[in-house]
Amino acid sequence: MDVLIVEDARDQRRLLCKVVGKLGYRVHEAEDGLQALQVLAAEPAIRVVISDWMMPNLDGIGLCEAIRSGQFNRYIYFILLTGKADKEAMVEGLSVGADDFLNKPVDYRELEVRLKGGQRVTELEQALDQKNHQLSKALDIVQQDLASAAETQERLLASPATIQNIGFDWHFKPSKILGGDMFGYHAVDDEHVMFYQLDVAGHGIPSALFSFAINNLLMDVDSPSSIVREQTTKAPYIRVLPPDEVVSRLNHRFQTTADNMLYFTMSYGLIHSPSGRVRLCHAGHPPTLWLRPGEGTVHRLESGGVPVGMVPGMNWRTEEFQLRPGDRLFLYSDGLTECENPDGEMFSEQRLCAALQDAGSQPMNTMISQVWSDLCQWRGGESFDDDMTGLVLEYQGE
Amino acid sequence: MGFSNRQEADKTVVEIGEARLDASQATPFRDYMFDLINQGQTQLVVDLSQVNFMDSSGLGAIVSVLKQLGDKGAVELASPQKAVNDLFDLTCMDQIFTIHPSVDQALSGKPH
Repeated sequence: MDVLIVEDARDQRRLLCKVVGKLGYRVHEAEDGLQALQVLAAEPAIRVVISDWMMPNLDGIGLCEAIRSGQFNRYIYFILLTGKADKEAMVEGLSVGADDFLNKPVDYRELEVRLKGGQRVTELEQALDQKNHQLSKALDIVQQDLASAAETQERLLASPATIQNIGFDWHFKPSKILGGDMFGYHAVDDEHVMFYQLDVAGHGIPSALFSFAINNLLMDVDSPSSIVREQTTKAPYIRVLPPDEVVSRLNHRFQTTADNMLYFTMSYGLIHSPSGRVRLCHAGHPPTLWLRPGEGTVHRLESGGVPVGMVPGMNWRTEEFQLRPGDRLFLYSDGLTECENPDGEMFSEQRLCAALQDAGSQPMNTMISQVWSDLCQWRGGESFDDDMTGLVLEYQGE
Repeated sequence: MGFSNRQEADKTVVEIGEARLDASQATPFRDYMFDLINQGQTQLVVDLSQVNFMDSSGLGAIVSVLKQLGDKGAVELASPQKAVNDLFDLTCMDQIFTIHPSVDQALSGKPH
């Protein structure tokens, strides 16, 4: 360990240096406080200062104050030399941040013990500093990983698109870096397009990873082990599975355990694109809203069904209805309707329907942004407690 | 605040003394219930009368109690407020749990 001796009396300084050197420390010296500050700046290894009180240019108190002002990025242990039983000096020294005192004339055994104390403190401080450094490095890595996971999540999201004759658009905002909301749409065969939206219970990494896995399974339509269609032995060699069967298969595949508490609510639908006939299944998910811009109405498709993954062997119901060209379906996660304003009042399904009705005659992307600006206005900002997803599709007819 | 339990009519009534059963309370609630199950309590009635908000995490905690019990016992829900009842309706929880309008009705054994 490096020690700096600050003393204007040359003989005393030499003597102290010799003694401290004999104790096995590397010794630096300075004639006054100003010179001491220069030495400290040039020698970052110095961790302990033994300083006289009365000195020209900058005295011991001034030196201690300068060190404590934070100009050095390390902790420096400060031992002040005082006259015997000088209580006032001790109080003043403590008040500017001195760590310890040594009476003059110096007793060398006492000096040895006090230096050891200083070494203990600086070593502790160094260890702490190192731990802090490691922690902040680890935190950096976690944050980088999270950011790259968030990018992965964004890449998993389907782009706004027109598939066969159905247009899709959406807005998605996770509450933290990563969310448990997920959605997608994909052609199942030449005349069927599937769409889904789901919300995994909880937030953060476990929910997000789980939603990635479900998304991969649902969107892998062309795989022989696809969960949305199966191969048959007769033409057209493909059977498009009805929505309730897809949900049942997901339920069979993903059962929550007592420990992880992971399950999800979802809506899964299938559109027969030549006719506009829709089959839709809700599993504990908020009701899908059916917009008929021609009539200016918003119709609520009753939901139902238990969430997926809670209990094995459950059954779900598929409902069927007929879209007309220009009709839209709006699917959303409960983050939208449960979004609270500063007074704690929820946005509610009623306000959501009203917002959709107001914006329903606009193009899909304009409609979605308008609903979003209504929500942000309600919220009084753009940070939300829950994941927020709104997915809209439009049947464009032949 | 917190959770408490009492024995009544051969059942363990667990009172949730929290206004919100959400992500912050889900794990403490689950741990509390698992402790009761480990102590051999298998006929559980959860008194929800003080809970005015429950989210998906809260619901997950209740389901995990069901999973932990398996076929060794039963967990019933009692006295949900309107917002909690709406969540039960949306998620069809009556298909999974017996839900009673009051603790008394849960103890008298008559289903909702």
